[in-house]
Amino acid sequence: MLERLTATASPATTTATAIAAAASGGSRWFGALLLFAAMLLTGLPAAAEPMLLIRGALATNATSERFVPGTAVVPVQLPDDWAVTRPGYEGSVWYRTGFDRPPGTDPHELLALYIERACSNVEVYLNGHRIFSGGRMSEPVTRNCHYPQLVTLPAALLQERGNLLDLQVQGHALARVASRQRAGGLSALEIGPQAVLAAAYEQRLFWNVTSVQVVGVVLAVLGLVTLALGWANRGESYLMHFGWLALGWALMSARLWWRDLPWDTGVMESLFCVGFAPVAGLAVQFLLSYAGLRMRRIEIALAVQWVLVPATLLLAGPNHLFLMASGWYVLLMAEFFAAVGLYLRETWHSRRDDFWPMLMLLIALAFAALVELGVQHGVLGLPHIQMLQFAAPLIFIGVAVRLLQMFAHALHAAEAGRTTLEVRVREAAAEIERNFTLLAELRVEQVTEKERKRIAGDLHDDLGAKLLTIVHTSESERISTLAREALEEMRLSVRGLTGRPMRLADALADWRAETVLRLGQANIEADWRGPVEETEQLLPARGFVQTTRILREAVSNIIKHSGASHCKVRCAISDRQFGLTIQDNGKGIPMELDGKLDRGHGMSSMKHRAKQMQGQCLVESGPGYGTVIRLTLPL
Amino acid sequence: MNSILLLEDLPEIRAWLKVMVKQVFPNAQVHEAARVHDALELVSAVKFNLALVDLGLPDGSGVDVVAALRESQPEAQSVVVTIHDDDDHLFPALQAGAFGYLLKEQARDLIAEQLKRMAQGEPPLSPSIARRVISHFASQTRPQERPQNMPHVALTDRENEVLLRVAKGFTLPEIGVQLSLSRHTIADYVKQIYRKLNVSSRAEAALEAQRLGLFRR
Repeated sequence: MLERLTATASPATTTATAIAAAASGGSRWFGALLLFAAMLLTGLPAAAEPMLLIRGALATNATSERFVPGTAVVPVQLPDDWAVTRPGYEGSVWYRTGFDRPPGTDPHELLALYIERACSNVEVYLNGHRIFSGGRMSEPVTRNCHYPQLVTLPAALLQERGNLLDLQVQGHALARVASRQRAGGLSALEIGPQAVLAAAYEQRLFWNVTSVQVVGVVLAVLGLVTLALGWANRGESYLMHFGWLALGWALMSARLWWRDLPWDTGVMESLFCVGFAPVAGLAVQFLLSYAGLRMRRIEIALAVQWVLVPATLLLAGPNHLFLMASGWYVLLMAEFFAAVGLYLRETWHSRRDDFWPMLMLLIALAFAALVELGVQHGVLGLPHIQMLQFAAPLIFIGVAVRLLQMFAHALHAAEAGRTTLEVRVREAAAEIERNFTLLAELRVEQVTEKERKRIAGDLHDDLGAKLLTIVHTSESERISTLAREALEEMRLSVRGLTGRPMRLADALADWRAETVLRLGQANIEADWRGPVEETEQLLPARGFVQTTRILREAVSNIIKHSGASHCKVRCAISDRQFGLTIQDNGKGIPMELDGKLDRGHGMSSMKHRAKQMQGQCLVESGPGYGTVIRLTLPL
Repeated sequence: MNSILLLEDLPEIRAWLKVMVKQVFPNAQVHEAARVHDALELVSAVKFNLALVDLGLPDGSGVDVVAALRESQPEAQSVVVTIHDDDDHLFPALQAGAFGYLLKEQARDLIAEQLKRMAQGEPPLSPSIARRVISHFASQTRPQERPQNMPHVALTDRENEVLLRVAKGFTLPEIGVQLSLSRHTIADYVKQIYRKLNVSSRAEAALEAQRLGLFRR
């Protein structure tokens, strides 16, 4: 009935290599996560200490307070899986086994009992003394299924030989729980030095509980971050889906470590089972929206499923919970993998970059899911590591990191876009400002031009008409000449007001035509020579008007006073200035008494006009020598 | 010259002009008008040989009268008599069909001499007007854009030659010497240039009107 064995092998290492192999070739970020997991796995127990492995016991289904020896007692092998040995049984089972102090252990060494799995809860009695309780033994029973137990064996109660070890296990029938991991049962027992077993216990606790809790917290935080991102970017609905998915999964993983729940096991198991429908739905939604394939019908079907799951569980009753849960698990997984297929197909066409990493991740997930399915249907034994519980959140974290990476990329791109946009806006603003300034200048020019024209019109209509009347009605020739001159002056002034700059070549043409015509009418031979080549230089309107006056005055003088028969005009244009020389062969300008030239010939007004234009007008004359007028103007 | 239209709003100037016209054409009958409206009525009622038209009038521009006369009595010669000597005022009148212009303040003898020459078919042409005529023909609408019923008006090489020389400041007699042409031939060229300016301006105006019509549709 009692066997002495030494545990030697560590079965977990093979699983670890399997995971690593499944993921090899995946993307870098997922690879890094796996490397981390592999590092954690390398320290699993490989004990060489002398130890007792107890693989058999006497068992009886009884709710009594003590192990009662009697007819109902049967020998059982450990581990004892209730689903096999006592199907449908629900309640308390007493186990009795005996042991001697393991040989080779120091008499002072503290010994302990290590129970890898006792589901749902266990109390331990040594030689009739209760030495350990895992929690509540009546409903709601403390859920210790995923917790290993380490019971220190008090030295005072321990005998060298023939120690009696009684264990009361409170458990549930497989049919009434949602997962095989939480069906009643007791693993093999190990007795050995407390220090050695504590290490094994802690490793087991870490993998079964702590890792799930840590990953759950990380997942919850990632979920919240993604939710916040999704909230800020409503257009990216997959962010919201993923956030809720991560949060949902984190919440659901509580079933593995949350021991004391307020309701009895049947209710809690049903609730957890119900919770899988939305989680799976969110996973499907996430994949579809991430691939840009949101379909109204699928959304409605998923929502209906939320309602359908609890309804079927209720209808089936608590005694068929495992059956219903298993059925739903298969269905939900099928849905999920269908979504995966759609997603991968879409990604293959539109986002090839994402395809391979996502394919690797999803293959790993599919592998974990298949293992879990095998476990639930009893094809595979209860695993040492909760594959799905461990792999799925890691994969979620991988996906979340990918999402955040994409978001960061998008943010970066948006930032770059914003900077470009800012530069463009600045350029556009500068352009607008420039145009506005131009437009304002143009407007000012237009308004000024319009005003000039108005003034010119008024002057012609009013002053012009009056002067004209004087010209043609005055009896005195002197007055009509004065009025005519005044009119001409007015006209030139107005042209100075209204005129635009003029091409110098055009101005020369105008002056030539007028001068030659006037001299010709006075029977004076005109000899005008200007520059041969055309120039594009411009002359301001005022310069044109003033020069016209000077030239007109000079020609008038020649016609009226000089008595010349010949007049020579020469024009010279350089880059900076132009010069006009008017020479006649007349009698010259008579000198006044003070040696100055005759004022009556208008010489001073010609000089004055030239000075106004920053130019100069030189007059050379002597009796009998004719007159030379040299006009020089800057351009 | 037996029928002359005299459009001038200032009574003194009108009287002065009438004396001058009578001096040049003693046998002519002079019809006077002070407003565009009156002048247009006269144009529709009386056949004229010559019209002296002021530009700035109380009820509009004398250009309208020039255009009306050109339209209904192509044989009549319009001469603009104005106080404005700038192209902005003169050029539209020339486009409308005027054959020359006189500046009002000139002495009676001078103005009479010019009028006589114009009546004999020697219209004046200043360099600035010549430049505007050149740019007018240069910017004329391209043939494919011209409506089919519109005649294509182009200057001959000789006419162009004369215009270019005038624009450079040479007087018409000088050009006659340069091109070995008689005074009459040069005068004919100038008259032809004025006519073509009028015809092409009207074509352009019609095209412009059509274009506006297209836009409005």
